[in-house]
Amino acid sequence: MSAPRRPDCAVELDGEAVPAVAGEPVAVSLFAAGVRVLSHSAKYHRPRSFFCLSGHCGACLMRVDGEPNVRACRAPAREGLKVERQNAFPSGKLDLLAATDWLFPRGMDHHTMFTHPRPVNALMQKVVHQLGGLGRLPDRSDPPLGEVHGERVSVDVAIVGGGPAGLSAALACAGEGRRIALFDEGDRAGGSLLCHPAHGPDAGRALADRAAEAGVAIHEGASAFAWYPEDEGGLLAVDDRGTLTRVFARRFVYATGGFDVNALFADNDRPGIFAARAVGALLVRHRVLAGQRPLVLGDSPYAAALADALGAAGCEVTRVDGVSERAVAARGHAWVSALEIEGPAGLRRVKCDAVAVATTPAPASDLPRQHGVRVALSEAAGGFACVVDERGATSVPGVFACGDVCGYRGVDGARAHGEAVGRAVAASLDEER
Amino acid sequence: MAGKVIVCRCEDVTLDDLAHATSLGYAHIEEVKRYTGLGTGPCQGKECMVACALFLARTTGQPPSEGEPFTSRPPIAPVALGTLARDGGEGALPTGRGRGR
Ligand code: FES
Repeated sequence: MSAPRRPDCAVELDGEAVPAVAGEPVAVSLFAAGVRVLSHSAKYHRPRSFFCLSGHCGACLMRVDGEPNVRACRAPAREGLKVERQNAFPSGKLDLLAATDWLFPRGMDHHTMFTHPRPVNALMQKVVHQLGGLGRLPDRSDPPLGEVHGERVSVDVAIVGGGPAGLSAALACAGEGRRIALFDEGDRAGGSLLCHPAHGPDAGRALADRAAEAGVAIHEGASAFAWYPEDEGGLLAVDDRGTLTRVFARRFVYATGGFDVNALFADNDRPGIFAARAVGALLVRHRVLAGQRPLVLGDSPYAAALADALGAAGCEVTRVDGVSERAVAARGHAWVSALEIEGPAGLRRVKCDAVAVATTPAPASDLPRQHGVRVALSEAAGGFACVVDERGATSVPGVFACGDVCGYRGVDGARAHGEAVGRAVAASLDEER
Repeated sequence: MAGKVIVCRCEDVTLDDLAHATSLGYAHIEEVKRYTGLGTGPCQGKECMVACALFLARTTGQPPSEGEPFTSRPPIAPVALGTLARDGGEGALPTGRGRGR
């Protein structure tokens, strides 16, 4: 395990200095320093903290360095970095707009609300225009474009996702002069290895290093954001740390993993209710405890591994399997204080200061779907999983998928699947020769 | 009073909102998306789409395997306009609508 966390710089939250570790996500710095509420939701102004800690849930949007709507879970901390809460009136600390949540306990139907009489409607339109939207324009505009530059990458195999599946596929496929590029949106490759107590950042680094040594070009911090079928016969667009990279390949492999999803119970969005993998990332990668008395909700092997690791780190852990017993409501407002649990013996209340929700991640099939890949919905798979044959081939010729995007498998399953699919991709290229 | 069950975190869409939409006859995920705003926020449905699809399967009695996702459109992650603009050296910007699905 890596060394304990030692703050070495300070960021500035709404004008106040907060200790941080340079390079860690600023959302982690704020949490570790005791800052609880990072944002307020768009409609009811409910208090929010981060949930997924991996750039997918949108709960952590803040104004960072004068730029609105930045994901605080992806913005690296550095000395003097300015971080501000947004979407709150008059200030991030005291958000009077939160009254909306109390005024509309049953929710509001904006289709019929204040549509009559006309003057009321006109007034409401004005108010809504003031309140609507997220954040204010940036402090400064981008410098003039100057020299324009885009990159092009042409390879035999392009792999999207550098978790256990993608890295294993890359390794298995590498060799014999095959040109392989792998794109991972995280600041470093490793994916779900990075938040797993049995693996962790070192395991992720080791696998990525082996792939790099085998000749795979690994692009970290490179977010594949679109498949454009009409452009140049089809191209994958990647935002590679601010540079647009057009990727062309004979084979595409989607190893995009899964998105963390919440469980459904009353007030399930309270700050302190985290995705289990966020709690794992805090512990394994950032050396921060999500709480002293965490509750782990779920019956997966990952939930078990996380609960054990939290226990070993000195936490008082409660486990609720979510099957024989399930959560019905959260208590606490600006931070979770307990969960109401319903089971065969009736209702009970479990005090806690953090919740790790270990539901089945939803296959991250949005990009393969743009590419035309057929998906199928099943509860066991966690959502809309890519449909693949035994070689990992999808419904689109030349397009493969492996790992959790084909239905949740977990780290070891994803690694094995990636290896098998990587070999099949290599074989399919050999056949063409 | 029971609190809100949030399905779509970005747009504060609750389980009650979904039930209301289906009670009005909206049964397809694209209709429910348009009526409630579910999946239209910063995360573009990454967290809520599956919950909505499974809810619709339960409500309509259709098997989940019949469930459809809503159309995925570029960009699937936030991209700065400057990143797209600075690509000018390569000719036209990617302008495609994306195929979706
Ligand atoms: S997007 Fe930052 S916590 Fe989910």
